Amino acid sequence: MPLLTLSWLLPLAGAIGLLLVGNADGRRNGAIRWLTLAVSLATLAVTAAVWAGFDPAVAEFQFVERVPWIPAFGIDYSLGVDGISLLLVVLTAFLTPIALLSSWGSIERKVKEFSIFMLALEAAMIGVFVALDLFLFYVFWDAMLVPMYFLIGIWGYDRRIYAAIKFMLYTMAGSVLMLVAILGLAYLHSAATGRYSFDLLALSTLDIAPQTEMWFFLAFTVAFAIKVPLFPFHTWLPDAHVEAPTAGSVILAGVLLKMGTYGLLRFSFPLFPEAAASFAPWLALLAVVGIIYGALVAMVQPDMKKLVAYSSVSHLGFVVLGICAMNAQGVQGAIYLMLAHGVSTGGLFLMVGMLSDRRHTRLIGEYGGLKAVVPRLSAAFLIITLASIGLPMLNGFPGEFLIMLGAFRWDPRFVVAAGLGVILSAVYMLWMVQRVYYGEVRHGENATLPDLHPREWASVLPICAMAVVMGVFPTLFLRPMEASVEALVQQMQATQTLRAMDNPHPPAPRTPTPGNWTAMRPVTRILYSLSRPHSGPSRAERGQKRWLPAKGSGGYQGAVPLGWLIGIGN
Amino acid sequence: MIPLSDYLIVSAILFAIGTAGVFLRRNLITILLSVEIMLNAVNLTFVAFGRYLGSVDGQIIVFFVMTVAAAEAAVGLAIVIALFRHRESLNPEAFTALKW
Amino acid sequence: MFDSTFDAVVPLLCVILAALAAMGAEAFRARGERMPIGGLGIVGLAGAGVSSVLLWNRNAASFGVILADNFGLFVTLVLVVVGVLTIMFSSQVVRRDALPAGEYYALVLFAIAGMIMMATANDLLVIFLALEILSVAVYVLTGIRRDDQRATEAAFKYFLLGAFSSAFFLYGIAFTYGVAGSTRLDRVGAYLAAQSMSDSPLILMALALLLVGFAFKISAVPFHMWTPDAYEGAPAIVTGFMSTGVKAAAFAAFARVFLSAFEPFSADWAPIVWIIAALTMILGTVVGVAQSNLKRMLAYSSIAHGGYLLVGLVAANEVGKAAILFYLLAYAVTNLAAFGVIALLGSRDRGNDELRDYAGLWHTRPALAALMTVCLLSLGGLPPTVGFIGKWYIFSAAVSAGYYGLAIIGVLTSVVSVFFYLRVVVMMYMAEREVAAAMPPRVTGVSMAALAFAIFVIVYLGVMPTQVLDLASASIATIF
Repeated sequence: MPLLTLSWLLPLAGAIGLLLVGNADGRRNGAIRWLTLAVSLATLAVTAAVWAGFDPAVAEFQFVERVPWIPAFGIDYSLGVDGISLLLVVLTAFLTPIALLSSWGSIERKVKEFSIFMLALEAAMIGVFVALDLFLFYVFWDAMLVPMYFLIGIWGYDRRIYAAIKFMLYTMAGSVLMLVAILGLAYLHSAATGRYSFDLLALSTLDIAPQTEMWFFLAFTVAFAIKVPLFPFHTWLPDAHVEAPTAGSVILAGVLLKMGTYGLLRFSFPLFPEAAASFAPWLALLAVVGIIYGALVAMVQPDMKKLVAYSSVSHLGFVVLGICAMNAQGVQGAIYLMLAHGVSTGGLFLMVGMLSDRRHTRLIGEYGGLKAVVPRLSAAFLIITLASIGLPMLNGFPGEFLIMLGAFRWDPRFVVAAGLGVILSAVYMLWMVQRVYYGEVRHGENATLPDLHPREWASVLPICAMAVVMGVFPTLFLRPMEASVEALVQQMQATQTLRAMDNPHPPAPRTPTPGNWTAMRPVTRILYSLSRPHSGPSRAERGQKRWLPAKGSGGYQGAVPLGWLIGIGN
Repeated sequence: MIPLSDYLIVSAILFAIGTAGVFLRRNLITILLSVEIMLNAVNLTFVAFGRYLGSVDGQIIVFFVMTVAAAEAAVGLAIVIALFRHRESLNPEAFTALKW
Repeated sequence: MFDSTFDAVVPLLCVILAALAAMGAEAFRARGERMPIGGLGIVGLAGAGVSSVLLWNRNAASFGVILADNFGLFVTLVLVVVGVLTIMFSSQVVRRDALPAGEYYALVLFAIAGMIMMATANDLLVIFLALEILSVAVYVLTGIRRDDQRATEAAFKYFLLGAFSSAFFLYGIAFTYGVAGSTRLDRVGAYLAAQSMSDSPLILMALALLLVGFAFKISAVPFHMWTPDAYEGAPAIVTGFMSTGVKAAAFAAFARVFLSAFEPFSADWAPIVWIIAALTMILGTVVGVAQSNLKRMLAYSSIAHGGYLLVGLVAANEVGKAAILFYLLAYAVTNLAAFGVIALLGSRDRGNDELRDYAGLWHTRPALAALMTVCLLSLGGLPPTVGFIGKWYIFSAAVSAGYYGLAIIGVLTSVVSVFFYLRVVVMMYMAEREVAAAMPPRVTGVSMAALAFAIFVIVYLGVMPTQVLDLASASIATIF
């Protein structure tokens, strides 16, 4: 059964089906909501089936489907998941029902259209993560903009139109340059082999002239950097997040931002390894700037949604840093933090939305002392906040830790700055919690706010549960990605070594190990010389290090691995 | 015998006069006439080339062009009349319902 | 029945006969009698469509001047689609505005006949005649509402610049004739190929004048001044017709002349067309941003789309030629549907074509708003619509010919264009309806069917473009 096709076609079919349902004056709102939820849950079931059938020992793409689509240009309809994309697909399917549930209380008008756009969005998002053909990927990537634009523009807050257009234009401006680069790649493939191809695997073996490679890398990376968003490209994000309806914010923060980092990991770096090597320090620098900048700006925000939005800039900086390190720890940590951030920031937006549904304001100053009024909401909020900060045993920690580890082995100075970001994130998050939930009830309206009701429980519980599960059993989520990440890192290093040997004037890597990941350009070499050259350890070595139990040792699977938490100190 | 280049120069001058007339004159009828001058300048070119090449194609083409020019002029004048009914003016600057 | 030399003109004859029949029907119509003249036109166009399909791959030629090769037949089919959609949209407009039905449909059909002739002509003089046939018909169509001052003014401006540019075009033909001794494209091509690399001033003169003439017709910058006025003043459905049909026919002839006969001199004209294409794309989108009238905005957008087509022409490789054909189809269907929506929303006294007239359309006519949105997204080149495939095809032609600069200008301007298309969407979906605004009029079944067909084509070709892409690349195999 073509599970991957099903996973994106199911929500799309749901959206098309809803088009045909008449809903004059909102008579069928209830039925439409349930139907939409059912479709998204079915999608979740499909992706869960993909996860269940996924073989973690295999590094290659699985569940591959390949049908010629536009044969004249070598465009295939080809789908597949590997360890990098699998969990992102699951995350998408996991967050969509939650976002839908959250909209039940707040979206009252045009429910049918809202549901259509949400399902179309889900279809496009899943499509982005499973597409293996660059053309197909681009189609999903751009198609995703349209429903999100409508979600922000129609159901958003006051400045929704500005935010929607800004979101759309920013993303498109980046992605069209990527389109030119994709076309360029396909053309180079045809020049080399006589036929066009947009296949990711075929294109990653292309030999590209360094100058061209640099431009292509930049075109791809700018598109993804805008989406991430990396520091100077982030200005659309606060607007879009703040003005979007709660469900839109959850999806934006939870999934859409991950498309940027996923793109870096899946396309920018593997397709252009050499250019990636020489630009990685600069990207990392921007990432670190973003970490600090996002944190500092978040600290002074009076608006809760904006605070969470800027915290995303900060957290996504970590992800990019991990990717730039391009060693097993960094990349695994990056993917892990993508998932964790999706869950926890999605949850934060969800609960901010709940507060703003109750009080119709998002200003921190309007709240205070809510702990006594809505204890259950407060508890859930605190859990998610702590998860977002990166408290051990919650989902934010393994990702950040692995990223720091990976980055440290690459260049410790980035870690210093990133560590500062961790501290700052604790400051602004906890400060917000303190101002909103602790102290005296200062505003009369706040004294009578209702606590979580069953529908809200249904959306909050899975998030909290996921935050704890991801914190306590990280191996559950790290196992599937190991093999693919390993292969990716080795392939990157091998390509660089290979190309460095082809180069008549190689820039003399300091050591002949395959770890000369950054030893390509002078400036990079200087940065690099400060760190210990280190090749990614084999999986067996890593098993011996005990910070991750070796595969198949069996001991960690059932028991709570408190041991390795303590073992970190070694 | 008058060389080909002389004919071409004359027709070029005529064409230029017509072009200038379209841009400079301030009466719709005169502007229409300027377009006719341009077409006739082209006709002259055709005839000259036909004679030079020793083929009658050039002359035959001129008949086509004259027919087309007549049809065009008929439509053009009809539109001018319709315009005149609206504004009682033949000055192109009077027509400002659209941005020019 | 007929000698085989007539084969190539059969599609043309079908349309001309339908036009004559429409004229005759109008003449014999009793006062107040309603005749299905539009249906007559559709029958004629269907005949043209069927005969084009039958002529496929046969390379029929009539009298040496009409060449029904696959390239011409592909454009003919596009024109047939344009004609059928126009007539279907018009049925409502003709009744609403009390236009003289016989005249109106006859003019539309004559214009289409001219366009088909232009697309299949193999002789510069025939191209000129075809151009005049279609132009004269379209001048009159533009001003068919004589009571409307703006329409009459638009007709005059269009006429004046049309006649003016025709003179340039004709002057170019004269020089070509003088140099090559013939107006047949194949002979001109053969002569020029033998002469290549000897840049005689007469040839360059011919080249430049023909270029100017075509540039006027496809409203390329800096010869685009007439377009916004003519498009804004004309009745919306006529604007839709001329922005698609005329452009398709002119581009077909442009491509045929410059990519076959004048191909040997591409080193001379390619850089100029490069600049024109870039300017056209930039100006069309940048000025389009500032418009508040929807028809004027779409006029600038159609200028910009002409620029994208020129990119295919500059690329001039196999991909580029096929891309022009595919893009013509994509653009024709999309743009005509968009203008169709505008036409259907107007009333007799009021065009309802200002941007603010669209405020809250979603609440009053959700289906029309949704269809319009699909058209606008397709014009903006967003997947999964045919507009995206068309742009992708054009830009891949540019990239594979090494014109990265043009491709980058193209994609960036298409982002800017998305901005102004979105302004319409914002109005329709996110702005509140003005209280005083009248309910938009009802839409008849025929017009709705036309819209539904157009939207189906837009989405279907956006998802499954393979067959038509293959057809387009097969069309260019026989020529060039």
